[in-house]
Amino acid sequence: MVSKTEETQLNSLENQVDNGGGGVWEYLCLVRKLKVRRSEKVLKHGLSILNDPKKRSALGPEEWTLYEQVAIAAMDCQCLDVAKDCIKILQKKFPESKRVGRLEGMLLEAKGSWAEAEKAYSSLLEDNPLDQVIQKRRVAMAKAQGNISGAIEWLNKYLEIFMADHDAWRELAEIYVSLQMYKQAAFCYEELILSQPTAPLYHLAYADVLYTLGGLENLQTAKKYYASTIDLTGGKNTRALLGICLCTSAIAQLSKGRNKEDKESPELQSLAATALEKDYKQRASDKLGLLTSALRSLKI
Amino acid sequence: MGLGFIIGVFGVLILSHAAYSTIQYRGLLKIMEEEFSGPPMNVVLELLLGFVFCIWAALTVPGKFLSIHPDSEENRIVSLSANLDFMIFNHRAKAFPLEIDMKLKH
Repeated sequence: MVSKTEETQLNSLENQVDNGGGGVWEYLCLVRKLKVRRSEKVLKHGLSILNDPKKRSALGPEEWTLYEQVAIAAMDCQCLDVAKDCIKILQKKFPESKRVGRLEGMLLEAKGSWAEAEKAYSSLLEDNPLDQVIQKRRVAMAKAQGNISGAIEWLNKYLEIFMADHDAWRELAEIYVSLQMYKQAAFCYEELILSQPTAPLYHLAYADVLYTLGGLENLQTAKKYYASTIDLTGGKNTRALLGICLCTSAIAQLSKGRNKEDKESPELQSLAATALEKDYKQRASDKLGLLTSALRSLKI
Repeated sequence: MGLGFIIGVFGVLILSHAAYSTIQYRGLLKIMEEEFSGPPMNVVLELLLGFVFCIWAALTVPGKFLSIHPDSEENRIVSLSANLDFMIFNHRAKAFPLEIDMKLKH
């Protein structure tokens, strides 16, 4: 979870580091802490530290974490020889290490030799069959090969054992959404909201899935979850504000024929619309015209 | 920070002086065999003064207080972390290799 201050800090450090100021090590530590995926920058600046023996010795024991970080970034940018060199150095320092074994498996994956990677992972799993990280790599490998149903199967088996792993639930939800299996995706998001009820982005994703499913009840629940996202983010999440407007108009359209008592007060939609217009005026005033015309068409 | 620290030390000294005066006053009352109803007025004033100094120092010395609301402007969650355990390398960026040739030089 990246908060607003952390995001501004990351961007400012990134600017500083890109323009030649110092602070490379703080930037790399922040990227590692926030778990964002900035592989090109990590590779470029990590190599600048590792290729300089003075800076390398100044790191002390953190040097090996940097090697691991740069190896993964190199694999992401397809610089496989850099990755191989880093892994060789790590192997010399930590022979018989499972963490290095996982890196070797990832290198085989990045090269595209799936069978060898599968062999490497299964040999690592023989010693320790309950190793979470290797099992997750197996799921990722199935996904990379395009075998989505295999990935779902492995992931379900993994979640039967490790039910508290929210990264895995999130991954499963995203896979289901990509396959348009929205009911199952809604279940996964419900698990995520149960385990982390104060994380607004899970509420938002759940509301999106419910809105996509459609139907009056789902739309009403989706509106509630958009409202809770707005509550948890202090009203600054544009997507949730738009979601409220869309949900209200969709509910109004669905219940047009029914002529029930009008329990849906229009205040929430008008408040959301006002907040959106204020936000757009502040941040993207040239697009304000688009927004007002879109909102006007929703009120029909 | 220096001024706040000094004022804090001063406040603690005032409080300890007030405590010492109260103990002396009680001793005096024991000699005169009267009841101890409460410390004299000037000790009470001294106590209040020491209290104000200590509170002021406690609020200014630690520096800037951080917000604890999860939906405040600084603390609100903006994006989820990339799910790095399930990262795959078989993505479209394979078609765009880096222009600069990067090497590990040892």
